[in-house]
Amino acid sequence: MQSTLKRKNGPDWSMIYKVFGGALFVYLFLGFMVMPCLNTLTSIFTTKDAAGNTDPLAVIRFFFAGSMPSFVINSLKLAVCLVITVNVVGISIVLLTEYFDIKGAKILRLGYMTTLIYSGVALVTGYQFLYDKDGMLTTWLFQMFPMMNKQWFAGFSAVLFTMTFACTSNHALFLRNAIRGIDYNTVEAARNLGAKPFKVLFKVVMPTLLPTLFSLTVMTFITGLCAMSAPTLLGYNSINPEIVRLAGSSVADEAFPQARAALLSIILALFTIALLTVLNHYERKGHYLSVSKTKAKLVKQKIQNPVFNVLAHVYAYVLFLIYMTPVVMIVVFSFQNWPAIRAKSLNLGDWTLVNYFGTQDYSYTTSRGKQRLREGVISGVFSNSDTIGGIRLSFILSAIAAALACVIVVVAVNYIFKHRNKKRAVLVESCLLFPWLLPTILICYSFRTFFNNNVWYVLGQNMYYRENVRFLIIMAYTVVKLPFALRMVKAAFYAIDDELEDAARNLGAGPLVTFLRVKLPIVLPSVLAVFALNFNALFTEYDMSATFHSSYGKSYAMVIQSMTSEEGRDGYNMNGSGRRCASTVFIMLVSGLILYLVYGVGARDLGERLERRKKRRERWAKLTGRKSAGAARS
Amino acid sequence: MIQLNDIIVKFGDFEALHNINVHVKEGEFFTFLGPSGCGKTTTLRTITGFIEPASGTVQMRGEDITHVPIEKRNIGIVFQSYALFPTMTVRDNIAFGLKIKKLSKADIERKVTDIARKVDLSDEQLAKAVSQLSGGQQQRVAIARALVTEPAIICMDEPLSNLDAKLRVQLRNELKKMQREFGITTIYVTHDQEEALTLSDRIAVFNKGYIEQIGTPNEVYNFSKTEFVANFIGDINRLEDGAVAGLKLDPAKHHFVRLERVHVNRTAAECPFLAEGVIESREYYGLYIKYYVRCAGQTIKVIEKNDGISIYEPGEIVTIGLSPDDIMSY
Repeated sequence: MQSTLKRKNGPDWSMIYKVFGGALFVYLFLGFMVMPCLNTLTSIFTTKDAAGNTDPLAVIRFFFAGSMPSFVINSLKLAVCLVITVNVVGISIVLLTEYFDIKGAKILRLGYMTTLIYSGVALVTGYQFLYDKDGMLTTWLFQMFPMMNKQWFAGFSAVLFTMTFACTSNHALFLRNAIRGIDYNTVEAARNLGAKPFKVLFKVVMPTLLPTLFSLTVMTFITGLCAMSAPTLLGYNSINPEIVRLAGSSVADEAFPQARAALLSIILALFTIALLTVLNHYERKGHYLSVSKTKAKLVKQKIQNPVFNVLAHVYAYVLFLIYMTPVVMIVVFSFQNWPAIRAKSLNLGDWTLVNYFGTQDYSYTTSRGKQRLREGVISGVFSNSDTIGGIRLSFILSAIAAALACVIVVVAVNYIFKHRNKKRAVLVESCLLFPWLLPTILICYSFRTFFNNNVWYVLGQNMYYRENVRFLIIMAYTVVKLPFALRMVKAAFYAIDDELEDAARNLGAGPLVTFLRVKLPIVLPSVLAVFALNFNALFTEYDMSATFHSSYGKSYAMVIQSMTSEEGRDGYNMNGSGRRCASTVFIMLVSGLILYLVYGVGARDLGERLERRKKRRERWAKLTGRKSAGAARS
Repeated sequence: MIQLNDIIVKFGDFEALHNINVHVKEGEFFTFLGPSGCGKTTTLRTITGFIEPASGTVQMRGEDITHVPIEKRNIGIVFQSYALFPTMTVRDNIAFGLKIKKLSKADIERKVTDIARKVDLSDEQLAKAVSQLSGGQQQRVAIARALVTEPAIICMDEPLSNLDAKLRVQLRNELKKMQREFGITTIYVTHDQEEALTLSDRIAVFNKGYIEQIGTPNEVYNFSKTEFVANFIGDINRLEDGAVAGLKLDPAKHHFVRLERVHVNRTAAECPFLAEGVIESREYYGLYIKYYVRCAGQTIKVIEKNDGISIYEPGEIVTIGLSPDDIMSY
């Protein structure tokens, strides 16, 4: 219940804050969301023909006359296939670790969850390293199956294979939670009524998972449609890489590239909006909720038929191998020397840290037979200035954007909750959710084209010029991460009991003190989690960096991409593959650490923290032979 | 001490409180009792300052505080959920209001230690997080936090409603004991009539935004002023047409009699009105037994003390009796 009493003494600071905050919010929303996207939309219909006359339908005619539909069809083909393969693998890994009694399920689960820390451009380049025509795994497979095509890992099949295993993270998280939420009594009841195990699975268990599966299917479809790093690196002509290519092209090379890029991004946006509308509509219809008052924990089902049981185990471990082999190989190769990596064959007698730290000289024979030495060109991740530069830039841009998104969302959600059920709160929330409707590529493309002019409301600057691009990247990162931050922080605010605010006010605290000392500490773990997850995603993100590609905005993902270039004999891009392997390990460590901090440390409440502190002190006291303060008191 | 004069509270077009008049005396334990949505919490929030009335005044010790901000009213509140700050230790929770008042560290420490001792919280408990305390201990922290700023009165909004039955009874007694020790004027909101009857010096019974009756527990129970109060407080028999005619009562009115005022197999000297009935069923409660007796065309509920000897079986024919003085008519 809202208070109706107002403080009546002193200047009305709250009104000043409100006006200033409101104006800033409107500036950011119109300036960095509406205007760039509107510009993209209008650019489609303002194309000029050779005579300089505006021809609103030129791009659309071009679209149907040329090869542009093939990009849309390719993206749709990838999305549809991905929905099937990701669901098959995703459902399999969850059932195998959570529903069926498979030996070694805990180890299997760890393997299946590696995509949580090993994803994006690092995963794609890792797969490429192992599976391309002279990749170690392709060589092994070729030795076993000499008939196979050594260049199988290119184009559609490579993208589908890579993304199938890269996109099961959501299944591993959300479907797992859904299956764990099943009331085991319903399984027992079905068995008691005579249903066989697989009948129970398909008639009782699967229907309760349908809502989650539907959401995952839609999200997978959108992921497939908006795929960027895998098609770009593995060579598949889908929408996003084409948009980026067109964005960098000029009218001198081809017909109205910018307008075509805009049209493709709008098509992508329309698909996304349609799919999210369907998802929203479906989610509003509600879920199958357990009506049980005393829910029983799911007991794993033993597969009674011995043949099926063996097959299930074989299938589980084959999947495990597919998930784990790239991870293990990348880790192992990251400690191999340059010749071993170059040859993509393990040299177990020679290990090195040079892919991480330090440099080595490179000697080679020229075409005239002379021996040459290039000093220090074989360098590690933390010794290579390009890589360090990419890491530093990504670190700074990601941290600023993640923090900015958190600050904006926390202030906005506080406002939304204060004005619950009022139109202005709905408006603010809708504005923050706006980027969710648009594909990332549309936002970034819009930023790139719109701010590649002198724009009056950013001090008349061209934001795509030189170092300004970094500001543009920060803004794009922030805008793209707002919807996720909003959903998470809003959920955290729901946990604040209204009475806490009343209690603080009753004890004399003003709105600012109440916010800073009561509400913020409660939501802080969630806010920090959002910050960490956003930072993690942005630190190695590829799609946006590729769109803003510029020598002043070369992010870590772009540096990793450049490591895939062929290493030259004269020392060009030397040890790129070694640094790529080490980079992947570094990214896995950073992601792992962040996930541990978010879900491990961050999930502890004050009570748990105090309890742990007490135990630590007691252990320390035991070690040092002194009495701890607590023990001394008692 | 606290006086509400013709308080009207509106939420939009909806009038939640209609002309509420209450006078709470110094040191009194005063309870607002009523079903959900009757206006008792709204009245409390009007006193504490979270709601501003559309009309009427709130006075404290004769001073009009209707428009005084919440934090300047000097009223302590114990919330339904206790509203303890989960990110602070017990000590920080209690000290919160003192820190806002910018007291010196030494004063804060002294006052916190003092109040903690009074509500029986140890030093070890003060260092804990509130989530590490039991429900009873949390309640004591909430009371300590409300009392440490030395408020003129303390308001409690259903502070026992989240607890299990056994703990509720235990804490009810502790609450009453503490209130007596501190001697502080207390306004207590509850929908639990048993809680209201056992704790209060006086009770205001609310219904649909009106106060139906203000009185001592005995007055509201035994001399209920309205049909609503009679029905809401305790279990009661409504006498239907057959009984009304048999007892020659005014048929234009509704007549009620409490369960413990109806007796089984008594003499005419003990109960002037006697009638024959059949035991339909019985419920065994240990301390007493509740009988459902079919009599004069209706089922009458009767409570008899369990003496272990006079226990009647279903189907047994009995005589039930009551005194005309025990009938409440409206």
